[in-house]
Parts: sequence; C-alpha cells; structure tokens
Amino acid sequence: MINILLVEDNEMNKDMLSRRLSRRGFNVLTADNGQEAIDRAKASIPDIILMDMDLPVKDGWTASQELKSNPSTLSIPIIALTAHAMSGDRQKALSFGCNDYETKPIEFQRLLAKISELTA
Amino acid sequence: MVKDPLNQLIESLSDCRSLLADQLPVGNVELQDDFSAFCKALDFFIQLKQHNTSTQHSSNSNRQFKHDMRNAIGLVNGYIELILEQANDSAWTTTLSNTHQHCQNYLRKMLNRSDQSTPSEPSLHCENSAKAGQTDRPKKNSGTILVVDDDPNNCELLERYLHKDGHQIICAYSGEQALALLNDTSKEDKHQRSIDLILLDLIMPELDGLAVLKQLKKNPATRAIPVVIISGQHDTEGVVGCISAGADDYLFKPFDPTLLRARLNAGLERKRWHDKERQYRHELEINQRFIRQIFGRYLSDEIVASLLENPQGLELGGSRRTVTVLMSDIRGFTPLCETLPPEKTVALLNTYLRKLSEIILQYGGTIDEIQGDAILAIFGAPLSHSDDCDRAVACAIDMQNIIPMINQENAQCGLPAIQMGIAVNTGEVIVGNIGSEKRSKYAIVGHPVNLTARIETLAGAGEILISQASKKALLSEVTVVRQFSSQPKGISESVTIYQIAAMKGRYTCQLFEEDTESQP
Repeated sequence: MINILLVEDNEMNKDMLSRRLSRRGFNVLTADNGQEAIDRAKASIPDIILMDMDLPVKDGWTASQELKSNPSTLSIPIIALTAHAMSGDRQKALSFGCNDYETKPIEFQRLLAKISELTA
Repeated sequence: MVKDPLNQLIESLSDCRSLLADQLPVGNVELQDDFSAFCKALDFFIQLKQHNTSTQHSSNSNRQFKHDMRNAIGLVNGYIELILEQANDSAWTTTLSNTHQHCQNYLRKMLNRSDQSTPSEPSLHCENSAKAGQTDRPKKNSGTILVVDDDPNNCELLERYLHKDGHQIICAYSGEQALALLNDTSKEDKHQRSIDLILLDLIMPELDGLAVLKQLKKNPATRAIPVVIISGQHDTEGVVGCISAGADDYLFKPFDPTLLRARLNAGLERKRWHDKERQYRHELEINQRFIRQIFGRYLSDEIVASLLENPQGLELGGSRRTVTVLMSDIRGFTPLCETLPPEKTVALLNTYLRKLSEIILQYGGTIDEIQGDAILAIFGAPLSHSDDCDRAVACAIDMQNIIPMINQENAQCGLPAIQMGIAVNTGEVIVGNIGSEKRSKYAIVGHPVNLTARIETLAGAGEILISQASKKALLSEVTVVRQFSSQPKGISESVTIYQIAAMKGRYTCQLFEEDTESQP
C-alpha cells in the first residue's frame, strides 16, 4: 500500500483530499504545518508527500527544502500544492526541490496520475 | 433582474443538498459521512459569500476573497466528485453531475478572469458550456502545442484546457523565448520534439505576436507549423494583419473552450497531413535513392530511370529476346592470385572492375554478373536498342584500350600488370528476374551465354573475339584480323570466330597498337 503524507492546514481541504485518497486505496497520513511534516516524514518515511505551500509555523517551501536536503528524506517525492493565482509558484516549487506541482483547486484525476507516476 | 451567477451556483448546490439528504441510502455509512462533509463545505462556502457581500473591500482583500472563494468552490466540487464516484447510476446522479458541471464551469470562469488586472468580480456569466467541461476526451487527436503568452496565468489556463484533451503543452513566456525554443534544433530533448501547433498571443512586450509570426514564416523549418493567434476581444485589425502574415486562425479572449478545441483540432489536422505528406515524400526519395544506388552499380542510368517509371519490369519471370553478350576475363588471373596477398588482389580487382564497369554502363550495357575477375555484360536487356551489337563491340574495344591505363595506375601502387581477353556473341536468350521473391537476380539464361563463355576461353591477351552471329548482327563494318573455325568444348557444331581490331560507323574506334612497355 502506498503511504501518502498530506500536509495541509485547512481542515476541510485536508478532510476532503484524505477522504478521496483513502477511497482510492492510499494510506493517508496528515500534518498541519511544515515542521510537523518534516517530523512525520522522518518518522514514517512515506512514499510521497503532498504539500500545501502556504502553511503556518514553517511554510511548505522551507519544509520542502529541508526535506530535500536531509539524506533520510531527500528521495521522497514531493508534489507542491500551490494557489493558482501565484503563477511563479510552479518554477518556485521546482527550485525548492519539489518533484511536481499541482494548482488548487486540485484536479483529482491529474493529481492521481502524478502520484502514480512518482511512486511507480 | 439578472441573478448573480455566484448565487445561482449556491442555489444549485443547495438544491442538490436537499435532494441528496432525501435520497442517499441511509445504510451507506461511508456515503452519508461524505455527504455531511459536503454539507459542511457548502455551509462554509455560503458563509464566505455572505460575509463578502456585507463588507466593503480593497483590491487586495478582493484578491484574497477570490482565492478563498476558489478554494471553497473547489472543496465543494471535490466532495461532489467523491460522492459521484460512488453513485452507480442512482436517481440523483444526473442532478449531482449537473451541479458538478456548474461548479467546474464556474471555477473555469474564475480562473479565466483572475488573470485580468481589473477585479470586477464576481459578475460572471455562467453560460451553458457544459460540453466543454467533459473530462474524458478522446486522446487520439492530440499533439504538441506551443503556447506563447507573456502572462503565465494564461499559459497555465491553456495548459489546463489542453492537457485534458491529451495535448502536450510547452509554454514560452515571450516571443524571444518561443523563437529560441523553435530554432533550437540541437537539443534532442524529448520535450523539444516537433511542435504541431502554436497558440500565439498577439500583444506581448518586446517581440509581439506579429513579429514572432513573421519570423516563423520566414524560416523553412517552422513555416509549416500552424499558428492560431490569441487576441483581445476587439482587435480585429490585429488579427487581420496576422492572417495576412500567414496565421491560420484566431481566437478572441476569453476563450470559449469548445471553439478553442475546434480550432486546435483543425490546425492539428492540417499539420498531420503536412507531416504525412512530408514523410511519404521522404520515404519515396529514400526508395528511389536506394534503387539508384543499388542498381546504378549494374545498370546504366537510363535503365534505372526506366525501371523506376515502370516497376512492373521488376516482376519475376523472364522474356525471350535477342541480346549481345560480352564476357571478359583477366588472362592468368589464378596464378596471379597465388603470388599476391589477398588485399593486393582486391585492390587490383577494384581498380579494374571500376574502370570497366564505367565503360560498360556508358555503352548502355547491363552488368549481369561479376565473378572474381570475370565480367558478364548484356546489351539489349532490359532495354533494347537496334545497335546493341555495335555497342557491345565498341565497348569491348574501349575495354581493351583502358587496360594500359589500369596497368599504369596499378604499377604506381606496386601491383603487377594484367591482360584481358574478351568475347562477344549474339543470340536469343531468356532474360528477366529469376529466383524467388526474397532473392532474385536479373539474369540471362540460354545457349548463347554458354557459347560466349567458350569463345572467351579462346581469346588471348588483348584480343577481342566475336561470333558469326554477332558479326551478322553488326550494323557497322569491323576490321577482322583473323578468322577461324572452332568447335568449342560442349558445343556440337563448329562455329566461325572473328578476331577484330576496329569498327567504323557511329562508334568508330580501334584497338591501340600494343604497348611494348606493358609486356611483362
């Protein structure tokens, strides 16, 4: 079973996405902020991380960068979830070490395709 | 009074909620749970809307509101999709699908508008473009599309639309970038594979759409790529300019997705035909070049051209016709081989065969076979001429005359001198493609061929012997040096053989006086 770490501070967004992902047979772990994401990633080494970028305590950019510079977590693929309005986010996400990005509101089928591509 | 589209959406969502509350199977705990999450998200959305209506806002907070609103609708939409996935054609499926469509369209409109600088939101028109929202599109007509727009939002929006249809999208954020990308043929990156269509924004800083278009049409490598111009709503003049500069089509912003799709597909179809045509032409060229190269070694250009025009000439099977056969052989070749290392033998043969082949082809002969030092050439097949025999004799004289030159060349490379005998005979043979489909050979079969071979063994160094049949077939007069009768091995009747030294007429030529230097 593929373990997904979903990092999202918005409760409803988190609920909706984790529901949909678990319905598709993924095992979903969650984290509310960047720091928690790092801690959980280190502790459970998920197969993939879906990370919102706009997070409290430590934002998604910083968290991604830290995960990608830590030997134990650098191989975990990260899909950045960014707000569509910020058009530079795509480049930014990639430059911060994320493997892919998806804009919100999320197009679920495309997200699934990206997950399966990155966890293949 | 026209209803606010956002209120319309909320109304449709609320209706949907009532319907689901009524009809969802009570026993399905999972579905019920999803439904209550949907209700929560919907409440949040409604609250957000109400909160916004009751407050005055700056443009900054407006942007934030749009962001929140998009998120809220996306959320509700996500739950609807989740419920729909479990629907199995229930009574409420259609209503839910319609509401889902409604959400999708609204989101799309929002995304479309959010790239405009004046935030006159949210007076959106939610037209009925339900078809545009379909997620499952046939992918067979997909292509690689280059989107050129200085506004990354527009690029991303187009990417969303087009991605759904299975297209590969490459974005360029300026005219310069687009041209650099198209001109960079050195990179064999898989993302940089051939571009099938270009969506080009007309208004861009620095290099604008028209300038890019002109560059594209100037370059033979990019000329054939269809270009669809994207322009502001009322810029008809700009569009006209682009079309006369070679643009294939245009689209006004904001796009109607159905129209976008239609125009793209038309453009891609054109490109596909163009590519196909180019490919065919390329394949044809390769084939012709191949045929010329392969047959050109054995057939004269004239014959190759005739075969290319009439490929049925290559069918298996033979035809009976009168031809003149020429055979030549190096005298004492076998003992020569014994004294020479194989590399030198090959070098010797190559010079010899190259020079002689040239002469044979020059006289319209067909080289039917080369075996070691022996050459079998035919005159009169696949194409026949009235003076085939004359050609063969003239050819034989020229062949003999070139030998001293070959020897001179060989001497420079430390190779020994050679001498050759030639026989010419005329008669009726079967010529054609003999063999199987996989391996066949343009060959001649018949008694005259065997007789030629026999006569050839009688020819001494530097001699040309022709049979009586050939002498009869000649149109021109030849100088006979010697005439004798012989009964060659395996031949029942004796034949008259002529050793000739010169010929008059069209191909007037004669054997050179024997060069004493070339004597061993």
